[in-house]
Amino acid sequence: MIEVKDVMKSYGNQDNKLPVLKGITAKIADGDFVVILGASGSGKSTFLNVVSGLEKPDSGSVRYDGRDITKLSDGELTGFRKDTVGFIFQQYYLLPNMTVEKNVRMGADLAGNSDYREIIKAVGLEGKLKKYPGELSGGEQQRVSIARALAKKPNVLFLDEPTGALDEETGRQVLAYISALQKERGFTMVMVTHNQNIAQMANTVIRMNSGKVMEVSTNETPMTAYEIGW
Amino acid sequence: MVVGMKDAAKLIGISIISCCAVLVCALFMNYYLDILQIEDLLSTEQAVIFYHAQVSTAKVVCGVSGGCLLATSVVMLSFYIKHYIDTHKKELGILKALGYSNLRIAKNFWVFSTGVFLGTSVGFAGAFLLMPEFYERQNEEGLLPEIVVSFHPSLFVYLVALPTIAFAVLAVFYAALKLKRPVLLLLKNDFQSSSKIRRVKQGRDCPFLVDLRKHTLRTKKTLVFFIIFASFCFSAMTQMAASMNELASKMMGIMMLLIGVILACTTLFLAITTVIKGNTKTIAMMRVFGYSQKECCRALLGGYRPMSYIGFALGTVYQYALLRFTVDVIFKDMEGMPTYEFDFPVMFLSLAFFLVVYEIVMYCYAGQIKKISVKEIMLE
Repeated sequence: MIEVKDVMKSYGNQDNKLPVLKGITAKIADGDFVVILGASGSGKSTFLNVVSGLEKPDSGSVRYDGRDITKLSDGELTGFRKDTVGFIFQQYYLLPNMTVEKNVRMGADLAGNSDYREIIKAVGLEGKLKKYPGELSGGEQQRVSIARALAKKPNVLFLDEPTGALDEETGRQVLAYISALQKERGFTMVMVTHNQNIAQMANTVIRMNSGKVMEVSTNETPMTAYEIGW
Repeated sequence: MVVGMKDAAKLIGISIISCCAVLVCALFMNYYLDILQIEDLLSTEQAVIFYHAQVSTAKVVCGVSGGCLLATSVVMLSFYIKHYIDTHKKELGILKALGYSNLRIAKNFWVFSTGVFLGTSVGFAGAFLLMPEFYERQNEEGLLPEIVVSFHPSLFVYLVALPTIAFAVLAVFYAALKLKRPVLLLLKNDFQSSSKIRRVKQGRDCPFLVDLRKHTLRTKKTLVFFIIFASFCFSAMTQMAASMNELASKMMGIMMLLIGVILACTTLFLAITTVIKGNTKTIAMMRVFGYSQKECCRALLGGYRPMSYIGFALGTVYQYALLRFTVDVIFKDMEGMPTYEFDFPVMFLSLAFFLVVYEIVMYCYAGQIKKISVKEIMLE
């Protein structure tokens, strides 16, 4: 269980402070698929950064099973990221001079996962082990980044606009892979998006606006990637 | 202006190397030109032998030190321009997209030669400050008639004006050559760039960190050269400095020690800074995934350690060969020349000093890696 309480975050200096998160409180249950929905500038990416331990809030707490990660030192936070969370970004950020296999090993080695080829197979890239990111399509690159994130066996997977750089067909395909893997492996998934349709796939939707949570809703019957609009 | 004076100021490494090169060359070339004028005044056979030995020394030192340092400056300048273009390729790509020609953009790179001008000018002036003392030490035993320090304008042209012009031309043409890349490629960032894939042999069952270490080494060969060069300079110059106390003068020894340490530190700093700057996003990504600072350091910088030892060994061999050659060939007819043997205690002392300096530099850069924000990855 992730418990976020009264989280405040602002950027800039004393004279020119820009509040981005204005007292966010939320709960994310284990194994849940949560979508954080909001327009550009609503603070959703900052929220994801704070919840995942990439950034520290100015105040408030973020607890993972009771353990407040905002109180952790840099070294402890590194250990927390290593053991607990995985990330998928809009721009993939694969290492361009390393093969698909080596990019996935970047995540797998951290967890001592020697079965990383299974996850490459699960995202449909078993035939492209020796390919370089530059030789793959956008969708394939995003699937490599999914494999890299899941190869470290995270308890919580954070995704920042994972389909933002993909066309509709590829985007649906990537979402289908992620969704299927989440159901199969049971990890918690927190996805930031501005696409309202993707929210229909989630169990829980947190709507944000101007640094505040406006609404938390649940979907009784989440749709699949091929059922939602685009 | 595409390239400003602020960017040129970052070429402090070239300024320091050109300063050292010109200092040594101006000292010995001026001495060579002045000593030629006393050839007719030599009266004893001993003086003639000493005279020829001095002339040969001046030629060898100018050729070896000047040549090596000039070559290094050229490599360093080319490397820096390439690095500048790589790190500013988006801005340069926008200019190209707007219709600026390669040459028009490249013309601005002439400012990189200001670092050479600064370095050579300081080196030239420094040489003239040291010259009276240097002349006196070279003829300490009074075998030659008095040698007067003269100013040779041609030396200023050859050692300051020409290198500055040559480096300006080199900077412009090298930049024009490097800017020949397609606009779209310049506009893409490193993580998106796909047209040029560096195929590096990757071990099938090799752990990621081991592969990353090998990969960093193989894809940045210029940096490997700089690391080897830095440790080579340190090793050769510090060991030679100790021998110089006996073979030449204390002043020469101190000069060599200072030049060696300054050159080594400058090159080492330049190389490691580039490694870290060039891998900022990789480091950030590794930190996001949970790799510790220690693991990042080992993967990116650890591979250079064996290279530095190779450089040190080469420097040791080089200084021994050069001194052996000087004593056995150039000064073979000189009476009272002290014998030269390889100095093991000096080598071990130099190695210990080198290890301390190297590890301090690495420790400082480990701190730099720690400062890289994990958010760096999201600043695109």
